[in-house]
Amino acid sequence: MQTLPNSLPTQVTFKGTPEGLRLLIPTDLPWDEVVLQLQQRLNAGERLWQGGAVVMLEVGERLLDGQQLRTVEELLTAQQLHLIRVRTLRRQTAVAAAVAGLSVDQTDTGAEPVPPAISINAEPLYAQTTLRSGMRLQHPGTIVLIGDVNPGAELIADGDIVVWGTLRGVAHAGAHGNTKALIFALKLKPTQLRIADRVARAPDDVPATPQPEVAYIRDNAIHIAYTTEFARRWQL
Amino acid sequence: MSGKVIVITSGKGGVGKTTSSANLGMALASRGKSVVLVDADFGLRNLDLLLGLENRVVYTILDVLSGECRMEQALVRDKRQPGLALLPAAQTRDKSAITPEQMQEITNRLAESFNYVLVDCPAGIEQGFRNAIAGAESAIVVTTPEVSAVRDADRVIGLLEAAGLREPRLVLNRYRPQMVQANDMMSVDDVLEILAVKLLGVVPEDEQVIVTTNRGEPIVLMASPPPAGQAYLNIARRLEGEDVPLMDLKAPVNNGFMARIRALFSGR
Repeated sequence: MQTLPNSLPTQVTFKGTPEGLRLLIPTDLPWDEVVLQLQQRLNAGERLWQGGAVVMLEVGERLLDGQQLRTVEELLTAQQLHLIRVRTLRRQTAVAAAVAGLSVDQTDTGAEPVPPAISINAEPLYAQTTLRSGMRLQHPGTIVLIGDVNPGAELIADGDIVVWGTLRGVAHAGAHGNTKALIFALKLKPTQLRIADRVARAPDDVPATPQPEVAYIRDNAIHIAYTTEFARRWQL
Repeated sequence: MSGKVIVITSGKGGVGKTTSSANLGMALASRGKSVVLVDADFGLRNLDLLLGLENRVVYTILDVLSGECRMEQALVRDKRQPGLALLPAAQTRDKSAITPEQMQEITNRLAESFNYVLVDCPAGIEQGFRNAIAGAESAIVVTTPEVSAVRDADRVIGLLEAAGLREPRLVLNRYRPQMVQANDMMSVDDVLEILAVKLLGVVPEDEQVIVTTNRGEPIVLMASPPPAGQAYLNIARRLEGEDVPLMDLKAPVNNGFMARIRALFSGR
């Protein structure tokens, strides 16, 4: 078997293009996990999908049977998204897709070249959900989350992290080494904060009247400030 | 008839899933509903014990599936509440003995002849959990006010939502108002702030629950049920769509005369 095209991420990922959405399914994630992540991503983005958007499914070396393709199609249809095309490297998957009446693209990767490790230009991910224990949201750009991040959940972004809610879990901004990355939250009560390769525990003294706060790296350590003061002092 | 299929789950073990299932089933039956309790805890079945029906179990879910017996033969009718039946799990097998599709088939069939199908889910989030939720249309999550139980409940709620069981409702079990007032226990609000789901009821801690459980006589059967039993009866009414206010869970001022005087001066 040829080597995997590593343009595929380790998570179920949506990417927007002018022609529609690309749905990328990683090769070696267990199928149950794929379905779970897809459902979570669809739930989180619910309000944002434009009804009628078309989706291109990209599965690389992964084998999908007709039943699995139908599952994906049903989940998408429930959000008024239309699966129109499947891009695969495997003949069996191509046949299954063709049987299901989808157009098939069996060319090599086709995807754009592998982006460099730090992809600051990746479009931000905007999600509306409660990130519960055991869930993990990872994105090669900035993440904007409308909702809470509960203890036991992880938020990992190569760019900044903005939580419009309470951050109680673990947040890792600048995951590929960007020390300028920031973490914002309306209420910052994290289990742990990470920026680039720095790690910080949550402060023990939580302010009585919580205000929006920001975590940033200064002098090699993670600091926390009220967003308003931070903006004034560092000319955000 | 098309009854409601409700799964009762928690993630963590020992928070009172089975006790809650037994009491809710009994409470709904005492309100004249036909209820079947399905024990989905293969290999670790307890529900028959709590209901005091252990010695009347002949067939199990597996016998129904294999055609060994008819559904009607496997159902154990309760001796006190004719409206209540139990479909026992297989004790000699494990969770892999049944598939989610088979479970769904069972609950669908039961929903044709009962008002309520309550599925008692095993602890954990593996195969047994996936089986138990397969046929359910809604879910009740049981937790206690402890960080570990709440954390696991949060995980389970996430999995339920991903499986299409939106808006699970919460039963907060073993609540101790005194400890909450002394700031030694998470309050109802603390728990709800994290879990962000609808509250179905709060069951106060009560030794009577342990006593009645050991006897196989759910607490709601007592002639004048203590607050814990009353809480389950209220939850049953809320399941029926009634608007029942939460019980007053303030710690009772029962420490005698001096305590009352002190309470007077502290303005409580």
